[in-house]
Amino acid sequence: MRKITPLPLDTPSHEMVTDLIVRYAHALDDGQIDLWPGFFTASALYHITTRENHDQGLPIGIIRCSSRGMMADRVKAFHTANIFEPHCYNHMIGPVVIGPAKSADAVSSRCNFQIVRIMEDGRMDLFASGKYLDEIVLEGGVAKFKERIVILDSRNIDILIVVPL
Amino acid sequence: MLATTQATETHPEPFKWPSEGVTRAPYRLFTDPDIYAQEQQRIFRGRAWNYLGLEVEIPNPGDYRTTTAGETPVIVTRDRDGKVHAMVNRCAHKGALVCLKKKDNVPSLTCVYHSWNYELDGRLKGVAFRNGLRGQGGMPDDFDVGKHRLQPLKVEIFCGMIFGSFAEDMEDVETYLGPDMAPFIKRNLGRPLRILGTHSQTIHNNWKLYAENLRDSYHATLLHTFYTTFKVNRLDMDGGIILSDKKWHHISFARRANLTEAAEYKDSNVHSASFDSALEGPGLLQAWEEFDDGITHSIQTIFPNMCVQFTLNSLAIRFFAPRGVNKTELFWIYLGYERDSEEQSQMRVMQSNLTGAAGLVSLEDGCINEFVQRGTRADPQCASFMEMGGRQVESEKSSRATETSVRGFWHGYREIMGF
Repeated sequence: MRKITPLPLDTPSHEMVTDLIVRYAHALDDGQIDLWPGFFTASALYHITTRENHDQGLPIGIIRCSSRGMMADRVKAFHTANIFEPHCYNHMIGPVVIGPAKSADAVSSRCNFQIVRIMEDGRMDLFASGKYLDEIVLEGGVAKFKERIVILDSRNIDILIVVPL
Repeated sequence: MLATTQATETHPEPFKWPSEGVTRAPYRLFTDPDIYAQEQQRIFRGRAWNYLGLEVEIPNPGDYRTTTAGETPVIVTRDRDGKVHAMVNRCAHKGALVCLKKKDNVPSLTCVYHSWNYELDGRLKGVAFRNGLRGQGGMPDDFDVGKHRLQPLKVEIFCGMIFGSFAEDMEDVETYLGPDMAPFIKRNLGRPLRILGTHSQTIHNNWKLYAENLRDSYHATLLHTFYTTFKVNRLDMDGGIILSDKKWHHISFARRANLTEAAEYKDSNVHSASFDSALEGPGLLQAWEEFDDGITHSIQTIFPNMCVQFTLNSLAIRFFAPRGVNKTELFWIYLGYERDSEEQSQMRVMQSNLTGAAGLVSLEDGCINEFVQRGTRADPQCASFMEMGGRQVESEKSSRATETSVRGFWHGYREIMGF
């Protein structure tokens, strides 16, 4: 009897994974927040939490979007509802490590980040540090986040978060 | 922090409240380091109950957590008999912090500096090298461990919350809350709790600006426009304000209007506040009716520095700790009940997006108080003007377009501060 080996599902290459992670950061750093939901699949999970919550398995963090629609609502709120002092980010991303796959169609990766926040008056602060835990898939030949868990090292946020990390 | 750094001026002239009373709050209250120091003594170490945490955070014998009462570092422990204690986190020897972690489980408390060792209730057990080494040194013969201990606070647990006071003869928490406040705390917290997540926010303003902000029902729909932007069908049409007998605690509540529910929501006992909204991700506002009193949104403050929020099904404690005259750490402790189903927990989780450091509805509160701090710091002699809803300090059962609870805060503040 002929042995049938299942075809491996199409997954993004390592280069595509790194490219997605970098383009995502550059879009936010360049103030192109409208592009943000487009880096995700329609039913993606985007979750910002703290190390303390993550380590204890607690479900509530700081932001939780369980669909691209919820991300689009955040973008709309940013433009029209929310009030805050204008600022921008600069992401420093560390090397990306591909980990053991959690599902057949996705690549699991981890990288560290630091985000400098620049206020309108010129003040610059180290705003956030932590790690991205990502699940990345191919959608129509393009790499997208199926899941992006942002784990902040500190429990404390300075002032507020309105621009995604 | 360039933008919020400010010269700490000294005011040689004694502080005097304006003749208009609590419709005015002099800006000096937010910047004067002497007033800030007096608050530590008269409020946080005076005749008030400080929120110290939740019983569920220290469930086992030997558990401790650290917190602050005003600026005073405090340890809360559970002893081997299950009793909860609170004490100042300061060694009786040289004054070093005894506990450094946020939470831990230990057989006893030991200061790292010289290994002075304390029981879980704060009594001194033993001192290293008490009898010296090889007959040399040691404590004097009349040294008595019974005469030294970690300074205790009076402790009481109310609805799972641990409160501590430096006033030995403090009335019980239920009396402190008063008959209009205590039942609503029992409604919201009077059953086994579960912590769903926590984080904190640094806000660059005096703690009292956040205390005002929580009581300010006037700003709600003016500053926070998320609901109107997304045309969310407001279920909370009517509401009001209840002040405690001493005016310094309050409840602001909104009741859902008498809308006819869609049958599918009714059948599943779930209603969606986002019905007809412009949200692309409507799962955000999936909610169910938890109580039969019709109240869907409430904020309840407990003087001096905490509140309980219950917006839709999002239950949280906010605790705002002074970290200097112009800096405050705001803690968000998101809660559910032990009895919650998986579906109910999920709704609480999704609704947590509305509040907190990145809250869609209320993230503005992270910066608005700083805007006041920065706007007022150059003019300590000027005062805010608060006459919305009149000049009286009374409950207002049918409107929230009022500053009555902000005036109530200042009423209580003046009394405890002797201003």
